Amino acid sequence: MAGAAAPPAGLGARRPAAAADDPPPPVHRSLGHRIRGRLPGLAGGLLVAFVMLVLFGPVLMLALFSFNDSSIISLPWEGFTTKWYEEAWANGQARDAVANSLIVATVVMVLSVVLGTMAAWGLTRLRFRGRGMVAGLNGAVLVVPWLIIGVAGLIFFSQLQVQLSLTTITLMHLVVTFPLVVAIVSAGLVRFQRSLEEAAIDLGATQLQMLRYVVLPQIGPSIAAASIFAFAWSFNNFEISFFTGGFEQTFPVWVFSILRQSENLPVVNAVSTVIAAAQILAVFAGWALMKRLSKSDDDESLTGLLTGGTR
Amino acid sequence: MEAASIPVRRSSRAKRLVQPLAFLGTPTALLLAFFLAPMLVMLGVALDRGLLDGGTGFNLTLTNFTDVISDPLNRKVALTTFEIATAAMLVQLIVAVPLAYVIAFKAGRWQVPILLFLVLADELNPMVRIYAWRMLLGREGLINEGLMSIGIISQPIDALLFSQFAVTVVLSTSYLTYTVIPIYGAMKAIDGNVFEAARDLGAGWWTTTRRVLLPLIAPGIFISLLLVYVPLFTDFASPALVGGTSGYMLGNVVNDYVLEAGDLNRGAAMSIIMLVLSALFALVAYRLARINRLES
Repeated sequence: MAGAAAPPAGLGARRPAAAADDPPPPVHRSLGHRIRGRLPGLAGGLLVAFVMLVLFGPVLMLALFSFNDSSIISLPWEGFTTKWYEEAWANGQARDAVANSLIVATVVMVLSVVLGTMAAWGLTRLRFRGRGMVAGLNGAVLVVPWLIIGVAGLIFFSQLQVQLSLTTITLMHLVVTFPLVVAIVSAGLVRFQRSLEEAAIDLGATQLQMLRYVVLPQIGPSIAAASIFAFAWSFNNFEISFFTGGFEQTFPVWVFSILRQSENLPVVNAVSTVIAAAQILAVFAGWALMKRLSKSDDDESLTGLLTGGTR
Repeated sequence: MEAASIPVRRSSRAKRLVQPLAFLGTPTALLLAFFLAPMLVMLGVALDRGLLDGGTGFNLTLTNFTDVISDPLNRKVALTTFEIATAAMLVQLIVAVPLAYVIAFKAGRWQVPILLFLVLADELNPMVRIYAWRMLLGREGLINEGLMSIGIISQPIDALLFSQFAVTVVLSTSYLTYTVIPIYGAMKAIDGNVFEAARDLGAGWWTTTRRVLLPLIAPGIFISLLLVYVPLFTDFASPALVGGTSGYMLGNVVNDYVLEAGDLNRGAAMSIIMLVLSALFALVAYRLARINRLES
């Protein structure tokens, strides 16, 4: 389906154009060739459909079964109910876990965006000794696996005899998350024209005024993208929360512990469905915000930004 | 333009010191305190004889490392981890290369929506995804029930869950976004005319794929390896929840040392070994990506 709808961008579209220019060899008109010409498009559509099914099918199933009136999650369908949602709402552990995750992720997002944008500015616009090392340190955080950072954090805090809590989770999340903001915003800063900043300074703007009126509007979409990712990185983070949280549970840690004990499963279904729905909304809201901020219809550069965050 | 800005900067030497400090002081201090310092402390703990082994104060030793490496169980788990991570990586590459091709060249107006959905798949909470798969693959899960109800099988297939298969499936779906995006990025940089040139010169689709497409997207593939293969080796939640005993991976061993046995020293040694290996691998993949980019 995807290939058939493709406008001139695709290769498939180029083939007939080339054939029209050249004297058309009659073989190209045969039925076999016409079918074979359609096949790649069909195969492409099937591939995309298959991948989407594998990526989202399980979660959709989970959402469906959160309304099933049965304490075990399997067929047959026992009837529609919302009781698991009521139970989930009444479940103190579930509420605490979600609330903890929301608090940590919000704090981490705000601080990451501030610190990350500052650092990105410093790294792209200032010349100083040790710049390479600071940049390297930021980059290193992004490639070290979270399991290892989590274990290191646990050992570090236990050696210092610091009680593990939401604060230790937040600190560790912040340290792994703001370098991502640095990466995304740096890419945005490198892209736009420095001459505008210099013009502002020449016209008598202070550094702060220049940042506020020239730079911020230009890197708005980058900051929006970075915010979405910073929130998601913290909210979804399991390993670091697991090792540096002590007795405090975030949402992923709570799901993990419930699954380990294999109890209360329909409640997990209900909570997970709400979380997944909120995350879907958040991504599309973020996308809309980025489009507004960028004031252009160039979807491709925006997707570039958004996909850049997954690196 | 540069000439205009230089006198401004020269005017105050202090500013050149103060500005980097103002912008980078706090972030760098945080990284030193909560990233570098924990790593160094972990290295110290890995080199120290632990309390469990009768250590008092700091006793420099390599026994934590030798113990961890010589343990036959760890070697077996390392092999399993290698198998699962490699299988998951291959599955992803086999899906990702054609998928990236379709998105980059064939999808037309569907390109942006497909990319958005890939990003969305990555944003969904991994624990929710693991949980959903567990529900599907279980003995009474929907796949077994479904296959039994249409009569393909008479007994539920137990090997679907708590197996290497289950871990491979869950890991492949967890990281697919990170595998596709860099390859897609490399594809976008290709001038579509090269395919036409290849065809005009008489190359079939297989020759075109092997001699034209793959060399051009090699840097993207190496970035994918860097981003996905290394984390696959350290994944801990998926094997713990869907792996059972046969899908046990190195991340579970680290967890057992640190949280189950309370042996911080050997847990630290194991983490350091994994860190060094992943750093070496990352370095190689990064160099290969750079070299290939320069060549093409």
